[in-house]
Amino acid sequence: MTKKEKYQLVENYIIENQNTLYRLAYSYVKNKENALDIVQESIFKALKSIDQLNEIGYLKTWLYRIVINTSLDFIKKHGRMQAMDDDVLHSFMPEQRDVEKNYDLYEAIDHLKEPYKTIIVLRYFEDLKIDEIAEIQNENTNTIKTRLYAALRKLRIKMEEKVEA
Amino acid sequence: MKRLKNAKKQYDDIEIPSELQSVVEKSIQEARRKHIKNAPFKKWGIGVAAAASLFIASVNVSPALAQSLSSVPVLGSIVQVVTIQEIKIAEDSYNADLKIPSVTGLDNKELENRLNEKYTAENKALYEDFQKDMEALKEAGGGHLGVASTYEVVTDTEDILSISRYEVNTVGSSSTTMRTDTIDKKNQILITLPSLFKDDAYIEAISTYLKDEMAKQMANDSDKTYWIDDKEEIGFEFEAIRPDQTFSITADHKLTISFDKYEVAPGYMGVVTFEIPTEVIAEHLISNYYIK
Repeated sequence: MTKKEKYQLVENYIIENQNTLYRLAYSYVKNKENALDIVQESIFKALKSIDQLNEIGYLKTWLYRIVINTSLDFIKKHGRMQAMDDDVLHSFMPEQRDVEKNYDLYEAIDHLKEPYKTIIVLRYFEDLKIDEIAEIQNENTNTIKTRLYAALRKLRIKMEEKVEA
Repeated sequence: MKRLKNAKKQYDDIEIPSELQSVVEKSIQEARRKHIKNAPFKKWGIGVAAAASLFIASVNVSPALAQSLSSVPVLGSIVQVVTIQEIKIAEDSYNADLKIPSVTGLDNKELENRLNEKYTAENKALYEDFQKDMEALKEAGGGHLGVASTYEVVTDTEDILSISRYEVNTVGSSSTTMRTDTIDKKNQILITLPSLFKDDAYIEAISTYLKDEMAKQMANDSDKTYWIDDKEEIGFEFEAIRPDQTFSITADHKLTISFDKYEVAPGYMGVVTFEIPTEVIAEHLISNYYIK
């Protein structure tokens, strides 16, 4: 594969998966403008450091890692945004009580410490495999499994299924 | 698990803004443009261990290289700037990309060596700081760290050679510093800002002009911000240039003054450079040999 083809491939992948990248960024910063900024910065970083992507098979996890790191850097710098989106506001309204429990869990996940939050988001929201998460987090799969159980324990979710590798 | 599924639904329901597509496309185009701009530089990676020894080597190599170049018979002296060495470290969240310039072809070897040793020393310091920070961060459980240095020949005429070096440090956000050396090729001397003027009066003349100019630019363009009227009392209002403020001389003999990122303006303004109209400083100049 020539360098040009590599660029083309990565660019196409970004365009095709832009919604995923945006949602991932949004799940950290909870605000449209900042999430767009993170997508933009992640694209710059990715295309600038394309040489670091040695095997195209790692494209997905490599790109996820860039978005996650950019998001975490942003939070570290700016602190957690306590933006009241409509979603959150609605959850406080009494008539929405029936869905409140689900919002609680979503909120609880959001308030998990790193790396637990990222692991839950990747495993259950992005449906990534354990070994993909291990690649993103640069850890072995056993560490990720342990952390995933710990995260679920923190969320006090009764496990009805085993964590599958 | 049902609750997790419901939570996932909420995640999937994160609304995709209509701007996303254009942001993505623009970012790719922008990245492509930067990529093309950087393309002419030949890049190679070397191992971390090898990098340390190469640094030591390059101090010795550059005078030798310069010597061998000057021994080649050429018509007149060809003063040029080449990349003597590039250091790259790419380890997950730790990235260093240092590009070290070297001036060759000056007959004044003392000046040439002094400049080249300075460039190597600057990058060596950057590299050592980076390694220290990287070890510290690793011990603390990881983080993100980047450092890059590069250079640009801003002016290259018969008389003047101006080289700017940039350092970009990234820890979360990034800071950029720029230093410029301006060489008189004919007389083979390094020009400093104070050496252009009769006395210190240039500092005030330039500072006053810059404050006016910054205010003017802000009035005309709402995208521009400089820290000149300290309404928020953030404590770093621009008052005056340093006596040795970063400067350069353009091909048409105008003085330019530069400020690092965050020095006089918010980060998004980046490194800012102003061309100083010669009439502002005419009465303070020693001569109009360099500045016209």
